[in-house]
Amino acid sequence: MKLKVYADRLSQPVRAVIIFCEVNGIEYEEIKVDLANREHLTPEFSEINPMQQLPAIVHGTFKLFESHAILIYLASSFPGVADHWYPADVYKRSKIHSVLDWHHSNLRRGPITIVQNSILAPVFRRPLNPEAVAEGEKILSAALSKIESFWLDDNRPFLLGENQPSIADLSLVCDIMQVKLVGETDWNRLLGPYKKVQQWIENTRNATNPHFDELHKVLKELKEKLQN
Amino acid sequence: MKLKLYADRMSQPVRAVIIFCKKNGIDFEEIRVDIAKRQNLTPEYAEINPMKQLPAIVDGRFKLFESHAILVYLASSFPGVADHWYPADVFKRSKIHSVLDWHHSNLRRGPTTIVRNTVLAPVLGRPLNPEAAAEGEKFLSASLSKIESVWLKGNGRFLLGGNQPSIADLSLVCDIMQLELLGETERNRLLGPYKEVQQWIENTRNATNPHFDEVHKILMKAKEKLQNPRMKGATNEGGGSDMKRTLHSRI
Repeated sequence: MKLKVYADRLSQPVRAVIIFCEVNGIEYEEIKVDLANREHLTPEFSEINPMQQLPAIVHGTFKLFESHAILIYLASSFPGVADHWYPADVYKRSKIHSVLDWHHSNLRRGPITIVQNSILAPVFRRPLNPEAVAEGEKILSAALSKIESFWLDDNRPFLLGENQPSIADLSLVCDIMQVKLVGETDWNRLLGPYKKVQQWIENTRNATNPHFDELHKVLKELKEKLQN
Repeated sequence: MKLKLYADRMSQPVRAVIIFCKKNGIDFEEIRVDIAKRQNLTPEYAEINPMKQLPAIVDGRFKLFESHAILVYLASSFPGVADHWYPADVFKRSKIHSVLDWHHSNLRRGPTTIVRNTVLAPVLGRPLNPEAAAEGEKFLSASLSKIESVWLKGNGRFLLGGNQPSIADLSLVCDIMQLELLGETERNRLLGPYKEVQQWIENTRNATNPHFDEVHKILMKAKEKLQNPRMKGATNEGGGSDMKRTLHSRI
């Protein structure tokens, strides 16, 4: 009864789930659902996830979608997952829920809006939309400010003043990494003001390598393909 | 060490938390933070919640914001909360997380957007924005369709095939209730096609009354004032201070 993960590594929440599995030794079968080829819109995939989005998992007869719900399910169900990923302590756990919820309405819409209206627009047969990109940049900056000033403690490497990463670190960092698609110059421009955020991204990367780099290869490859 | 709940009952997620507490006999002190008077933007309130939104709780020295996180915390920490609200079973619990997450990016963006750009716009000194309202309607309809075809599938009276309500039912239904502000005709137009949704709202209401109706009184009063501007205490020309006191839009 191997875990099945329906995935396209181009998707930020997919990467978070796969990195989590890899770091925690959770065995899984990765089933590619190609977003650019609209495979998520097929009737077959709708049987897996009627919302037609990635990631989704199937574990035996149990189906689940929404990456935060998936990360919590995996942390709760597989032995050997260290406590810091999703602590049993109700106070720490609640704070993780708080930042994951905040993420939906704040950070999540930033990188995706930027990227889908610029470099990925042709891939998804959308027009370039510089106004939407500017909106996305505003959303991203506002979210990064909040992470810098509130969610990240001055002296601790991870969110919520923790010394070890949680599923919240993985989810948010994978989202921000999507901005790599727009190139180093824009990445430096957008992330430049936020020193703690940059350090935190590096901390999360180090804590989950080599899997983090392996999973983010797809962004480098796609960027090179699109620029040539 | 009584639980403190920072609240404005015009806010949908605030109502969900209050109803949950009342239904489960959780003792709390309700501290009014008047959004129409911008009390959520004060430095004092920023100490409670730097995101300046409602609801927020303080339990002893523990502070928490985001209504879903609050509901999960309360269900997990207070004795006597029946299991169906947030089941211990990891499969059922995961499905609740799934619908609560889906809610953020889908239903949540419907009612608030419609209401802020129509009935509440003049009161808040915003321009009417029928385009934005139409966007909100699209979100709402798409979400209600998904609730009927996915989340209410099966023979249960509640989401996810349950015969008892969970925190997900409370959260989503309180959001849809915001449509009451639009008046009967508009509300019926928007909800009309969705018979199962209407039944589910009624089921959730029945399962949590008298608290559901009591907590929604403020919303209903605001609806009366909006629909009947010549009622006592209502505005004279264009957005009187009395309406401003009662109404708000969740920021």
